[in-house]
Amino acid sequence: MTPIGFAGLSHLGIVYSAASAARGFSVVAFDDRPGLVGELAARRFPVLEPGLAEICREHGDKLRYTSDERQLAQCRLVFVALDVTTDDANESDLTPLEALLSKVTPNLATDTTLVILSQLPPGFSRRLSAQLPRGVELYYQVETLVFGNAVARAVHPERIIIGRREVGCGEAPPALPTQYASYLEAFDCPILQMRYESAELCKIAINCFLVSSVATANTLAGICERIGADWREIVPALRLDQRIGPHAYLTPGLGIAGGNLERDLVTVERLAAENGCDASVVTAWQRNSRYRKDWVLGRLFDSGLLDDPKRTRIGVWGLAYKQDTHSTRNSPSLHLLRALHAYSFQAYDPAAQIDEKQFPHVRVCSGMEEAAEDADVLLVMTPWREFATAQLGSVLPRMRGRMVVDPYGVLPQERCQQLGYQYQRMGA
Amino acid sequence: MLLHHRASLTPLPRVVILGAGGFLSPVLRRNLKMHGASVAALGRAAIDLSVPDAGTRLAQHLGPQDVVVMAAGLTPDKGKNVATLMANLRMGEAVSRAIEQVRPAQFIYISSDGVYDARFSSLLNEESTSEPADLYCLMHVAREKILAQSCRQAGIPFLVVRPCAIYGPGDTHNSYGPNRFFRSALNDGKITLFGNGEERRHHVFVDDVAELIRLCIAHASTGVINAVTGRAISFGELAEKIVRLVGGRVVVERQPRVSPVTHRHFDTSALARAFPSFRATSLDDGFEKMLAGLSEANPAAEEQEAVCLRS
Repeated sequence: MTPIGFAGLSHLGIVYSAASAARGFSVVAFDDRPGLVGELAARRFPVLEPGLAEICREHGDKLRYTSDERQLAQCRLVFVALDVTTDDANESDLTPLEALLSKVTPNLATDTTLVILSQLPPGFSRRLSAQLPRGVELYYQVETLVFGNAVARAVHPERIIIGRREVGCGEAPPALPTQYASYLEAFDCPILQMRYESAELCKIAINCFLVSSVATANTLAGICERIGADWREIVPALRLDQRIGPHAYLTPGLGIAGGNLERDLVTVERLAAENGCDASVVTAWQRNSRYRKDWVLGRLFDSGLLDDPKRTRIGVWGLAYKQDTHSTRNSPSLHLLRALHAYSFQAYDPAAQIDEKQFPHVRVCSGMEEAAEDADVLLVMTPWREFATAQLGSVLPRMRGRMVVDPYGVLPQERCQQLGYQYQRMGA
Repeated sequence: MLLHHRASLTPLPRVVILGAGGFLSPVLRRNLKMHGASVAALGRAAIDLSVPDAGTRLAQHLGPQDVVVMAAGLTPDKGKNVATLMANLRMGEAVSRAIEQVRPAQFIYISSDGVYDARFSSLLNEESTSEPADLYCLMHVAREKILAQSCRQAGIPFLVVRPCAIYGPGDTHNSYGPNRFFRSALNDGKITLFGNGEERRHHVFVDDVAELIRLCIAHASTGVINAVTGRAISFGELAEKIVRLVGGRVVVERQPRVSPVTHRHFDTSALARAFPSFRATSLDDGFEKMLAGLSEANPAAEEQEAVCLRS
């Protein structure tokens, strides 16, 4: 079989090309950004994903990286997988994707199936389909990767959602191109086919339901904190309700972060505004997210610890927006660091880095102990599993103060309190 | 959102306060002078802002290096009708004419949390929609807009401060809440509640409002900030605190309520972000100061026996 092509090796492309190789396919992966191909070929990945290095090592013989787009001409199935970035207003910037398509599509043979994995606004696929060379058939495949769990989800998807130009009027949609159908079969999961616009909105719909779940958890956890309830006691009852389910997103958070969820909420608001639909609930979620971002700040403000900026020292565990990633996009930790720029911080993260020129008041530490040393308060801002393994009996006494703010409840609350520390977490 | 345009400034520039006869003005003046500012406070005796040429006359008192704080207005006790609304708007118009002409260094409008309608949100903040429930609150919304436009067109840094209910010994309009409760407890031996006083509100000590304004002047802040602190407390709980503090025989009376119970809670995140080291006066401390301030004017009240009767 001819190799499968991938174009655009950002996080999405790197993971999906590797997952395709892991499923037995020969892959030609293209990107012309300077130096990237060399780094990938040397197994130096610009993204942090558990399992990525391992599958690339195991299936490296099937993965060929190239900076020459003409290499894609040998492929009859080509995926465009460049992540669509967003600006500070969380609006998509499609320019790099459009530039990539302009480079790639002239090199495609006439009977090529082109599949876009990149995050598209509704309407994009149909417009693109009309512009492609004759004989090139376009599909949109919804990516449902989760940072920190992307490889597992790419190799073992729950289902694959495909957008196509026509779904037909009968019971089954028209047959997919042979190589694409074989590719999809290899993943051994349900395949859901729908029109372009439905698939584009499906991706957004998934994220909206996740956000709605977290926003509800946030709201109710906030009430728990005031009325003496504990959200953690409530969660198991919700998971056992079939209408909610065991995998529902029920952990309260410090606001939406990462970039993708925020983008989709902005897209829904824009679509609603353009088409005269009510999206006030989406606006409410965003407002809730902004409110939650200041949860830790509010605790510090109320505690009196912020009275003297020159004297106060704040220890922080966690800079990334979530665990198992080095991304700090819209990170609650960085939001707090920016808000308290007059205070001294000492921070540790297992993977994420910050530009110390942008954060001159933050000393980056090499470990948890160093970040806690002489701190007046310890903030656990990212729920890395590593933090749960901290030897609290030896780490906490290094602090100058006796306050621990652990929003996600990573540390054992009882142990902190037994050691004589004032402890706060979300939902209680 | 509040934006700071400088790290800090000492000494402070000259500050002109409009509304010398009000509750806030003398406290603000005292605070600013303590921090090295030269302060001029203009009241109705100096300039009547409601007369036709008030704008021109006011401009003669202002300079381009000044910070102007507008705390002048006819308060609800003077009427919540159309005539009062229009008089207040004329004052706003006069001030807008003056500042457009002079272009001061900063203009601060002291508004009110009444611009928000709590029916639309259980937790209010600076992003909450302005939905004034009466003509007094409408006045503040309108004046904010009038003055914002003037400042925008003239390139004047503009700040709106929206205090919640302000309490303190120098209160000039006896608003329902700590101000009225203290006075009636000391003077009449009673506190009157509507219903059981279930409504929860924020209350900010007048010194704290003055300090926040000073910080905003020092940082040349622009935007909007709610001067709210702590957590909302019910009028019933307020009454109990005051009864305990005042001592003597104080009766808590209950009258039928005239409106349904509504609570007003504020999110203080914007304040925390703007001034993380700011410490508001606790209600207990503020009430001690309030009592001390009022007792200086009414020593006999301390001899009354305190009793709190519940129906």
